[in-house]
Amino acid sequence: MSGVKLESIVKAYGAVQVVHGIDLEVKEKEFVVLVGPSGCGKSTTLRMVAGLEEISDGTLTIDGKVVNRIAPKDRDVAMVFQNYALYPHLDVAENIAFGLRIRKESKENIEKAIKDVAGILGLENYLERRPADLSGGQRQRVAMGRAIVRRPKVFLFDEPLSNLDAKLRTQMRAEIKRLHQRLGVTSIYVTHDQVEAMTLADRIVVMNDGRIEQVGSPMELFLNPVNAFVAGFLGAPPMNQIQAVISGGDAAPIAEFAGQQFTLPPLPGLQNAVGRKVIVGIRPEYATPQTKAVEGSVSCTLELVETLGSEALLHTTIGGEPFVIRTETLGNMDQLNAVNGFTADPALVKVFDAETGVALSGQLRVA
Amino acid sequence: MSDAVTPKPAVTPYVNKRPVSQRIVDHLKREWQIYLMLAPTVIWLLLFLYKPMYGLQIAFKDYSIFRGVAASPWIGFEHFETLFASEQFLRALKNTIYISMMSLIIGFPVPILLALMFNEILNQTFKKTAQTIVYLPHFISSVIIAGIVITAFSPSAGIVNTILSWLDVDPIYFLTKPEWFRPIFIGTTIWQEAGFQSIVFIAAISGVSPTLYESAVVDGASRWQMMWKITVPSIMPTIIIMLIIRIGNMLEVSFEMIILLYQPATYETADVVNTFIYRQGLQSGQYDFAAAAGLFNAVIAFVLVMTANSISKRYSRTSLW
Ligand SMILES: Nc1ncnc2c1ncn2[C@@H]1O[C@H](COP(=O)(O)OP(=O)(O)OP(=O)(O)O)[C@@H](O)[C@H]1O
Ligand SMILES: [Mg+2]
Repeated sequence: MSGVKLESIVKAYGAVQVVHGIDLEVKEKEFVVLVGPSGCGKSTTLRMVAGLEEISDGTLTIDGKVVNRIAPKDRDVAMVFQNYALYPHLDVAENIAFGLRIRKESKENIEKAIKDVAGILGLENYLERRPADLSGGQRQRVAMGRAIVRRPKVFLFDEPLSNLDAKLRTQMRAEIKRLHQRLGVTSIYVTHDQVEAMTLADRIVVMNDGRIEQVGSPMELFLNPVNAFVAGFLGAPPMNQIQAVISGGDAAPIAEFAGQQFTLPPLPGLQNAVGRKVIVGIRPEYATPQTKAVEGSVSCTLELVETLGSEALLHTTIGGEPFVIRTETLGNMDQLNAVNGFTADPALVKVFDAETGVALSGQLRVA
Repeated sequence: MSDAVTPKPAVTPYVNKRPVSQRIVDHLKREWQIYLMLAPTVIWLLLFLYKPMYGLQIAFKDYSIFRGVAASPWIGFEHFETLFASEQFLRALKNTIYISMMSLIIGFPVPILLALMFNEILNQTFKKTAQTIVYLPHFISSVIIAGIVITAFSPSAGIVNTILSWLDVDPIYFLTKPEWFRPIFIGTTIWQEAGFQSIVFIAAISGVSPTLYESAVVDGASRWQMMWKITVPSIMPTIIIMLIIRIGNMLEVSFEMIILLYQPATYETADVVNTFIYRQGLQSGQYDFAAAAGLFNAVIAFVLVMTANSISKRYSRTSLW
């Protein structure tokens, strides 16, 4: 079982601790994505798994074996780096073969492996070129080739697509996904791009400041973020967060903000929180724009309409705070320009404690 | 991704209608600071390297300081004929080639090896100390270096003969023995310059992306494999450039050091073209003859650089120009 298990993994540089005890179990064949803002310790964690950084404390298990003190080469992992780390003096074939040559594999095996990998990645026509003569996407593919040629137990990716332009990134993302489905190798993938995380991951690990905020499937995290940080991190544009105070309504708790009221779902977590300062989280796509006041609507001031074709982003403000609504355009621009409020299904609204950021509302069903 | 040749769109060439002279003036107005910075070097080159070239013609003249360069009569290749008939010149030429070849073969790899070794030292304090020690001789005047060498090899008090005496070997008069001159000379120049020359390679090594090594570590490479498969190939362009420069300067055998270390007793193996020119020109006053020898040296050096450069260009994509 070639899973990876991190138990209370700590990394400290001298007196500075940058990873504060991470627990994570990556199952065999699973594709786990680490996301988080810059500097939160994603790369450091990945490099500890690779063996490029010493583990300050905790236990790292790969394939059922504790590898804390085992050299990278004996961990049987392969890593793809952000800048590809291709050897400029070697051609594509030799770059791919590097790991095998180091391991003194037989000539025939190497030849065959190069051919297989080149076939998988569509590099057959470039085998004799040097990295300098390749496009970004081709280099990226060579880097992948170098990782898969060794048939390791675990793949590690550190922002492998971040040097590519948007279109190529989308294309390579799909290729990585296909490759994973085809090879079924346990993978840990680091990115700070939440779209990459959502599309690639079996499970996403959201990290912040050296800690794990939440682990779960993409939809779990999207629908049921455990705190305001995760809610704000996943989804584009991010979830709107409105500062509010809860007051007790007759049937259901009510959030009050900027002189307005919004009825929240009648959940025990909220009913017990009367008088508490909270953050009301409403995803831009769950707010329905309105052109006149209706039952339960919240009024807002439209500032800007961004049209993306079939969809539009309405940038509005509520009591001076920004609030974004995402809606279909259906070609009706006049109606969009007349928006002065929105309604939202209380069941889709998240409420977080303003101080701790912890979610107070209950779980949504996972789609 | 496809290599299909797309037809180039027709580009209307940009035509600048203003006269060239006007454009030059504009250009100078805009960029004069850069030319100002360039000026000292250009002036130095003109004054000390190009102006003296005027004097090269005395290699083809029967020059006398009283008549001056212009008024001395042309005599064609007479000096060159004398030169090649001169036993001493041919010996000097042979010595030059021999000493420079040996210096190149033995001396060129030393700074590279030093740089590679420094790169493997993990203890920073030890590394810094070791580097300083090997750089040091470069900053000491050749006269002092020669003094140290002469003292070290002295038959009476020298450390070398003292050690030999412990081994029951009779004192050897190293610096008067023709067969010892070349090893001592080459050893001295390596000691003096190798450390300093290694700086270029150390700089080149530090320019290699660390992720190349990290990637190799994950692939399972040992330090030794990384040195040979990553470091050395990565600094190969630098090595080649330095080699071309070295080959170009090959005949410029460290002239001062030879003058300081040789004696009439070791001329047989020690006298090189430059020292020959020095003795003929400055000591015996045969300026025209010495100029001919110098010119010959320069032509050979020129051919060497050109050859080295074009060979390198062809085989390794790296070249000086
Ligand atoms: N050698 C080091 N010494 C001290 N601190 C370090 C060192 N290397 C990294 N750090 C710190 O560790 C923290 C985590 O760094 P890391 O590279 O893991 O971040 P990251 O999540 O990968 O960020 P990014 O998305 O920008 O790549 C950062 O705050 C960084 O400053
Ligand atoms: Mg990183």
